[in-house]
Amino acid sequence: MAPKRKKVEVEEEEARAQVEVEEEDEEEEELAFSRNYFLAKEVGSASGKRSAARKVSEINLVDDQLLRASLSELPTKHEKEIGSLLESYKGLYSNWLFELRCGFGLLMYGFGSKKALLEDFASSTLTSYTVVVINGYLASVNLKQVMTTIAEILWEHYKCKAKTSTGKKQQTQLPNGLKSVDDIVTFIVDISDDCNCSVCLLIHNIDGPALRDPDSQQHLARVSCCSCICLVASIDHVNAPLLWDKKMVYTQFKWSWHHVPTFVPYKVEGLFNPLILFSSGHVQTTKTALVVLQSLTPNAQSVFRVLAEFQLANEKEEGMHVSELYTKCREQFLVSSQVTLNAHLTEFKDHKLVKMRRHSDGQDCLHIPLPTNALEKLLQELV
Amino acid sequence: MAKHQTSPQSASSQGANSQDANHTLEPFFILHKAQPQATVVEKVSKSRKGRKKGIESSPKSPEKSKRTTSDEQPSNTLYEQWWFKAFNEIWSLIQSSIEGVLRDINLKLFNEVLQWIEDSFSEIKSNVKLSSSEILQPYPLLADTLCRKIPTAFVLTKNAEFVDDIQTFCDLGSHLKANRCHVANMSALDFSLKFGIGGSVRSLLRQLHSEPLDGKIADMLTLAKWYCEEEKNDKPIVVMIDDMECCNADVLGNFITMLSEWVMKIPIFFIMGVATTIEAPKNMLPSDALQHLNPSKLTLGTPSDRMNSLVESVLVEVCYCFSLGHEVSVFLRNYFLRHDGTITSFISALKLACSKHFSLESVSFLGLYMLDQDSEERWSEKFVYLPESMKRCVLNLHSCKSEKNLQGGVGSIVQQLSDLKASQRFWSSVVLCLFEVARYSKMQFLDIFCEATDPKMYCMNGSENSLKKHFRCGDKNSTARSSSGVGSITRVIHTIREMPVAALSNLLDKWNNHTEEMTEINEEVKKLQSVLASVDEGKVYEENLHNIRNRKSVSVISGKRNSANEKVAMLLDAMIRKYMKPLECMTLHEIICFRDVDVLQSGLIGDPRKTIQLDLLKCHSYLSCSCFSSDAKNLSPSMHDTSIMYKLAQEFGDVINLYEWYQSFKTVLTSSSQTSRKRGRPSPASKKAKPLPPSETEALIQARFCGAVTELQISGLLRMPTKRRPDFIQRIAFGL
Repeated sequence: MAPKRKKVEVEEEEARAQVEVEEEDEEEEELAFSRNYFLAKEVGSASGKRSAARKVSEINLVDDQLLRASLSELPTKHEKEIGSLLESYKGLYSNWLFELRCGFGLLMYGFGSKKALLEDFASSTLTSYTVVVINGYLASVNLKQVMTTIAEILWEHYKCKAKTSTGKKQQTQLPNGLKSVDDIVTFIVDISDDCNCSVCLLIHNIDGPALRDPDSQQHLARVSCCSCICLVASIDHVNAPLLWDKKMVYTQFKWSWHHVPTFVPYKVEGLFNPLILFSSGHVQTTKTALVVLQSLTPNAQSVFRVLAEFQLANEKEEGMHVSELYTKCREQFLVSSQVTLNAHLTEFKDHKLVKMRRHSDGQDCLHIPLPTNALEKLLQELV
Repeated sequence: MAKHQTSPQSASSQGANSQDANHTLEPFFILHKAQPQATVVEKVSKSRKGRKKGIESSPKSPEKSKRTTSDEQPSNTLYEQWWFKAFNEIWSLIQSSIEGVLRDINLKLFNEVLQWIEDSFSEIKSNVKLSSSEILQPYPLLADTLCRKIPTAFVLTKNAEFVDDIQTFCDLGSHLKANRCHVANMSALDFSLKFGIGGSVRSLLRQLHSEPLDGKIADMLTLAKWYCEEEKNDKPIVVMIDDMECCNADVLGNFITMLSEWVMKIPIFFIMGVATTIEAPKNMLPSDALQHLNPSKLTLGTPSDRMNSLVESVLVEVCYCFSLGHEVSVFLRNYFLRHDGTITSFISALKLACSKHFSLESVSFLGLYMLDQDSEERWSEKFVYLPESMKRCVLNLHSCKSEKNLQGGVGSIVQQLSDLKASQRFWSSVVLCLFEVARYSKMQFLDIFCEATDPKMYCMNGSENSLKKHFRCGDKNSTARSSSGVGSITRVIHTIREMPVAALSNLLDKWNNHTEEMTEINEEVKKLQSVLASVDEGKVYEENLHNIRNRKSVSVISGKRNSANEKVAMLLDAMIRKYMKPLECMTLHEIICFRDVDVLQSGLIGDPRKTIQLDLLKCHSYLSCSCFSSDAKNLSPSMHDTSIMYKLAQEFGDVINLYEWYQSFKTVLTSSSQTSRKRGRPSPASKKAKPLPPSETEALIQARFCGAVTELQISGLLRMPTKRRPDFIQRIAFGL
């Protein structure tokens, strides 16, 4: 592709992504501040050379399905060596248990998935504990549900103990009546001293997306210093220690660090991460747009086509006026009223097929955020 | 896609894996419930198989036969119980000692606070006498014409790191509770913008009510009702906020204003911890809240004072059952001075060292008997039942290898152990004597402790020639006084030479107590005390002369005094040479001495930023595969994909061009595999590889590339491309 053409494309893209520019500018600023002078210079030079730099689209990308299939069937390198590495950690299980009993929390770090290792440790060694596993790598983790489960486990033991003893604190609230996570955590802390059970909280990726916020970490820290609860956690992010302050580290979590690189692939942990050669480029965008459009009514598809054809015919225009679109659609009997058109447009906007933008003449206009070649391809496929 | 990650190690247990596969995408699940203890013991013992040197064989001890019915490897479980028991007892001794020290050091402040509360409370009580109905009356109150100010004590913590003061405030709370006060210990979390003033009041009520609120509305009227209950209204309510500067200023301001409305009805006191200066509350709180406070200022001790007391009571006085080696001591000193300077981090490091000692040293449990008066008998009893393998463990200790006397049997081991105990007692007595001087000259005890544990220093002292060399700096004629060039102990001796008579006399009194077990030294101390008493008589005369400023005429008496100082210094020197034998120079010291500084450091400071990068750059050292042996530095296709990618990324700058990165990765995977084929030594990966069609090979490479980028992203070493710059990935970590 000629450099001129590329430049035009870059400009087009930048114009289209006006809405996102601001937040990206913030990122750039952050970058400039976070790195030193020389690196900032390097970024500058990199962006200067950008037009000459090679693009991802120049890689002969294979079909998405083939890529996914290959990824799922990827043989693990050094399977035997990884196996013996994991086997070597088995000798340390008893030391880990000893530290847990001494009141420390175990924090496992090092490259490679530690999920299988920790679950094996828990299954084989922590048999005297009730083990609750949290898959922190999932964004869907709901700490309230987890805390409720722990509260229920403790409550069961507490009730049994209360029955046998004099029945003190009978009036203590049941876990069902607790409303917020804070309440549940307080409840756990209150009854933990009177429970003669041991619960081990095994957290895969305590630095995971759902647990990264300060509130979640505070709750975990408060729970971890209960007498009947111990914590085994893993981290994978290099900056994970920044999640905790000194109070949490020394008086609540009481971490004992263990370096256990496993080199086991992060298959489950990376399941929801977008693939770098998959999500980038316009191939994916076109495909997604096509899937969405095909699920709409033929009329809606035609309305989109009108808009797309206008955009292809008037590349230099900022977008199509809504009134103009309405007139054209009405002429082709695609819509009967402005309301119908608006319904279609809402659908498009919801799926990010169309963006609303302020025209230089002050009116709102519609615009499809796809490059010309992608749009052409989309129209070809949308038969 | 939702296939469960199976490691080779766990692949054997397929049944468990299929069950686990369902769990990988569940946010959380219960892996298993606690099993009855009997089965637990057995399983644990299996997992410990072969952990420690020399304890593989099962002991035939009577204790064992009592505990277990099966003969199947129960030894480790038994040992585990011993180790854990020893840790528990020794750590609880150390912990109670720590708590005692910290409580004592703060006791003066605590009593000051209590006095202040009692005075203010009695003043309020004498001015305002309200019945329960008056207290419960809705505001305003007729007697409310008086100034509504809450007595507030700002406690200056003198500590930038707040973590140390949390315990101090807890202790203060307990002290006040024990002295007829209602106490609510609140923190910055109770004054957050998220929960607002409602959260603060709820937290206050929750702390004061011994029972849950059970749906009661958390407001001041509830507090008033609670306060009106019997036997409650004759005590003040103390609200402690340990880290006042971390609270949300608006919420705290509102809280103060609200409590001030009720202060005439409910006697409330504030105790607030301030980490910076007394100006901080003025700068932080809104003026309307500030005007409701009646401030007074109190100050806590400095961390270095607390550290000195801790070293004295924990590391020296309790050193005969668990002690630190020289390297560990130096590491802990540096950790305290350079890491964050908090006592809390020091204590947690000490606890970790203690647990590592008992979990890694198989004969460490013998140290427990050091605590007993009749240690020798206890050891003898223990050794009778101790299995041969464990006895061998004792004899195989590094310090025993050169000791031929020990081969004599149990008796000689017990003798050595009691020698060790006695030596430690002497050592601690001498170190305590050193501390007395250090206290006078305001030196850090930890520095002296580190030097006193140094075996090299003792070896130098051992030979007469080098002894002079070592103490030359301490000679009175020496001018080398810089702290950097002179050891702490030498400086201590210097200090003695320059001590005034009164201080010297006090010092000898304290030494008299410390040296009770060393009769020879104790006698010398007593002699010196009598010498000083004669010098004391001339003291008044000396002082008069001093006023005249006729230095020459003083020289006679000061010469006499100096000779006394010199004698004390010489005595200390003799004590050091004879009795201050560092633990590491003793036989069997491994039983009570923790020396593995690397283990402690790695357990204490993870440094994942550096370590994870090193894992990737040096994966060959973990995965010792034959394919790395030729040249670990060169990239080979058999290497871990992410490792290849990260090594390639090192060649890029701040941003990585995806295309170029991919091409380099592809080149490594394809071209190098060809060379390895030529060499006739295929890598494990290429062994399995069957000839694939080009599209599939490309797909495989692209899949590997994607997988590796995802792994680097999970490790936080990369930032994914932005929409503005889709062809570039940003590197996050630079250098180790």
